[in-house]
Amino acid sequence: MFMQLTNDHIAYIIKDLNYRGIVADGIQEELIDHICSGVETEMSKGKKFIDAYHHILKSFGNTSGLQETQQEIIKSENQKTKIMFRNYLTIALRNLRKHSFYTAINVAGLSIGIAVCFIIMLFVINEVSYDKHFNKADQIYRIQSEIKFGGNHYFMTYTPSPLASTLVTDFPEVEASTRFRERGSYLVKRFDDNIKEDHVIWTDSSFFKIFDLPMIAGNAVTALKEPNSIAISERTAKKYFPNENALGQTLILDNKMNMKITAVYQDVPVNSHFHFDILIALAGLDEAQKPVWYSNNFQTYMLLRQDASIPDLETKIKGLVDKHVIPQITELLGSDFTAEKFAEAENKIEYKLQPLLDIHLKSSLQGEFEPNFDIAYVYLFVAIALFILTIACINFMNLSTARSANRAKEVGIRKVMGSFRSHLMRQFLSESILLSIFSFALAFGIAYLLLPMFNQLSDRQLSIPTGMPILYGILFLAALLVGLLAGIYPAFFLSAFNPANVLKGNVSLGMKSGLIRSSLVVFQFTVSIFLVIGTLAVNRQLNYIQNKKLGFNKDQVIVVEDAYALGDKRVIFKDEIMRTGKMSSATISGYLPVSGTWRNDNPWWVEGRDQAAQDNLVSLQNWQADYDYIKTLGMHIKEGRDFSLAFPSDSSAVILNEAAVKSFNFEGEVIGSKIATFGNNAQGGPDKEHLQTLTVVGVVENFHFESLKQNVTPVMIFLSERPSGNISFRFESNDAQAIIILLETKWKEMAPGQPFTYSFLDESFGRMYFSETRLSKVFTVFASLAILIACLGLFALTSFTAEQRTKEIGIRKVLGASVSSIMLLLSKEFGKLILIAFALAAPLAWYGIDWWLKDYTYKTEIGVGLYLMAGVVAFLIAWLTMSFQSFKAASNDPVKSLRSE
Amino acid sequence: MHSPELLKGTLQTILLKVLKDNGRMYGYEITQLVKELSAERILLTEGALYPTLHKLEAEGMLKTEVVTIGKRVRKYYSLTPEGRSLVKERVNELIAFIKTMGNVLQVELN
Repeated sequence: MFMQLTNDHIAYIIKDLNYRGIVADGIQEELIDHICSGVETEMSKGKKFIDAYHHILKSFGNTSGLQETQQEIIKSENQKTKIMFRNYLTIALRNLRKHSFYTAINVAGLSIGIAVCFIIMLFVINEVSYDKHFNKADQIYRIQSEIKFGGNHYFMTYTPSPLASTLVTDFPEVEASTRFRERGSYLVKRFDDNIKEDHVIWTDSSFFKIFDLPMIAGNAVTALKEPNSIAISERTAKKYFPNENALGQTLILDNKMNMKITAVYQDVPVNSHFHFDILIALAGLDEAQKPVWYSNNFQTYMLLRQDASIPDLETKIKGLVDKHVIPQITELLGSDFTAEKFAEAENKIEYKLQPLLDIHLKSSLQGEFEPNFDIAYVYLFVAIALFILTIACINFMNLSTARSANRAKEVGIRKVMGSFRSHLMRQFLSESILLSIFSFALAFGIAYLLLPMFNQLSDRQLSIPTGMPILYGILFLAALLVGLLAGIYPAFFLSAFNPANVLKGNVSLGMKSGLIRSSLVVFQFTVSIFLVIGTLAVNRQLNYIQNKKLGFNKDQVIVVEDAYALGDKRVIFKDEIMRTGKMSSATISGYLPVSGTWRNDNPWWVEGRDQAAQDNLVSLQNWQADYDYIKTLGMHIKEGRDFSLAFPSDSSAVILNEAAVKSFNFEGEVIGSKIATFGNNAQGGPDKEHLQTLTVVGVVENFHFESLKQNVTPVMIFLSERPSGNISFRFESNDAQAIIILLETKWKEMAPGQPFTYSFLDESFGRMYFSETRLSKVFTVFASLAILIACLGLFALTSFTAEQRTKEIGIRKVLGASVSSIMLLLSKEFGKLILIAFALAAPLAWYGIDWWLKDYTYKTEIGVGLYLMAGVVAFLIAWLTMSFQSFKAASNDPVKSLRSE
Repeated sequence: MHSPELLKGTLQTILLKVLKDNGRMYGYEITQLVKELSAERILLTEGALYPTLHKLEAEGMLKTEVVTIGKRVRKYYSLTPEGRSLVKERVNELIAFIKTMGNVLQVELN
């Protein structure tokens, strides 16, 4: 009769074997089955269970025999490295599966961290690749100028027009040079309908010598030689001449310039600091032919010989200033002007070389073609990415060491059975590497999904180079490295157990050996809190900027751009729109208090003072406007009056801002004072014989017209007979759409075929803070991720503690502890750590914010409140995370947790 | 009963052949079968059986399959293709060995 063992019998056998030390993974179960089968056979022969069991045990050789068998099996498995490696993997997989909750937390944290790192690496690689695609990129330099004159201090890309050609003729190390002249956007048409083109630049024919863009059609050597010739990019060619050969055809710019296409070049790669679509030959621009050294309007780039010495060349260029610039200024201002006096007044005209490869990350001069990025932010991003990855790795370390108590027996037995410490370390490392590889695979997917979002955020077009085999190699190596980093500490920690202690049962290491673990948790939360404070601070500064009293009213103003397309009908357009009654006022002026609109800087002096004495010269913004300018833009007259039709003499009136009044340092009453500058001669140059004078009629409150990073500089506003540029309307209606339609209908009627473009003043204003807005968004994302990952770890740690202390909690409850007191008990330990983290993060964050805000002239006060808020937020999130587990543990029925022992 | 010393070198061959003839088997089943085939003259000790099975598995000659029966977990062993090709070689080797032993010991084998 066959005897089937009952569950109780089996349980007895399992326990007894455990007691005899049969615990090794994969062996225990097999031996149990074997013994059970044997016992069943014996019992079928009529023996009692206990006798049968002892009979079988005897056949094994009792306890010592059993252990010997176990040892033999382990030995036989470990004979070959390859086999051992596979064994490690099997056991690692088994362990990971067994503790799927912790595995899931680890994988989630790690893969998010890796995905963030991965995206940031793509971003950084893209940022440092700018302009490298040009063949001789490392030999290309740009001239940057520093000019300190008349109370202003400029760092610009603008240089004198003759500089470029002089460099090539005078200095042999300069192989080639080219100039750029920006003149804003152009309306471009082939037949009837104009399209507005933004990326248009005037340049020399030597452009292609320096920037070797591949040619689609035409000859790089002869292109752009003639006046009225242009070169266009491939995409522009496709736009205007679909399925046609663009070479030799004509495009009409701004309705009047007939331009012949002499070359079509491949589109400028995305990672370049300019993206010109239309190049116009400078041969056709009068200004470019004049030997005028004192005005700076051209960007100069040059290609140097490989052996050129930069410092030498800079010294030589200094000589050019003395040779050309100073004499011309002397001539202009009169013989009183000398280089010595100029230098004495701490003035400066200096030209330096700037490597092409530095432009994208290290340059933010006046007159950059496009906004560049800042290398400091690259470092910041990399640091944050590494921090997030570290936080994720720490989760892994903490969970592994925390669970060490559960694995201590395994370690003990393995050691007793003859495992070396190195075997165990390899075992634990293979677990962490396996986990890391898995996380990397997942991270790859996450990164793929998140990249479009990041692209939007960072204004880039990044993509994962999936076709590159080397990428996978690198990822795999990185996976090994991260696995190694995350696993090395637990491996050391766990493999160091003393088997005698462990097997005796002294394995209370679970929570008490937590000094390192605690410091790691503190580190995680320090970083998280730092990021939270950073986020709050950036947001507050942004808010401050957006709501600061600007000196003008940016809301409810719509700006119709490119009013020159209307020709002489600008004023009629304005008047007809006003007649509809939908607008409260309107003004025509290209000069607006947001970046990217017109600027014009000229020196003036108080009439009667000696203009040659440089102290008297005030270099300030000269803005042409009309009667309704101040009213439409909502500026405030502080003193005197606004322009008025009631005063015919206002054609020679001027309104100054407060900064200008201060710079002029008038004697006596400001209103009624006169200021003067040189008139224009027939060639458009300054005419020393005829002075132009204006009378101050009003003072306007300072208004910000550039980013709040800068101080308000002097501005003068005067009336222009034929104002041009943009037409701005102030409207009252809330229905912006109707306003747009009204303007567009009128525009189409009066300027058929011309593109209608408009913007809202507040939106243009917001764009000035694009990089701040971006920074705030990026910070928010990073801070949330850091907190999320840290909390994942905390969640697992608390649940682990709760699990460990189930019995303790049970007893406490039996003795009368309330749920809340037990929750407090469980949260207290980590609560303390978070407080410490806060104490560490606050000064660090204070330092960081201070560093960031120092660029701003106008900055918000970051009070203690913000720090406290960040601390409270972090604490609350952490506490909520913990309380879920704590509550679960605390509300458990003590009967359940205490029943079995 | 044969001495375990004599069995030592032949254990692998026995296991491989038994598994080839019977498909998948678990440890206890193997001991019982060998006991039966040898008319109780060969008793495989657990201390020798399991290390050898694990070693063969580690070398890729055997594959295992785990079946849960109530509270117990039973591990079945079967030959991999590599193991299968090894069986004949090992059996021939053993037969040759026995023949040689017969010559050495000057006894007639039938």
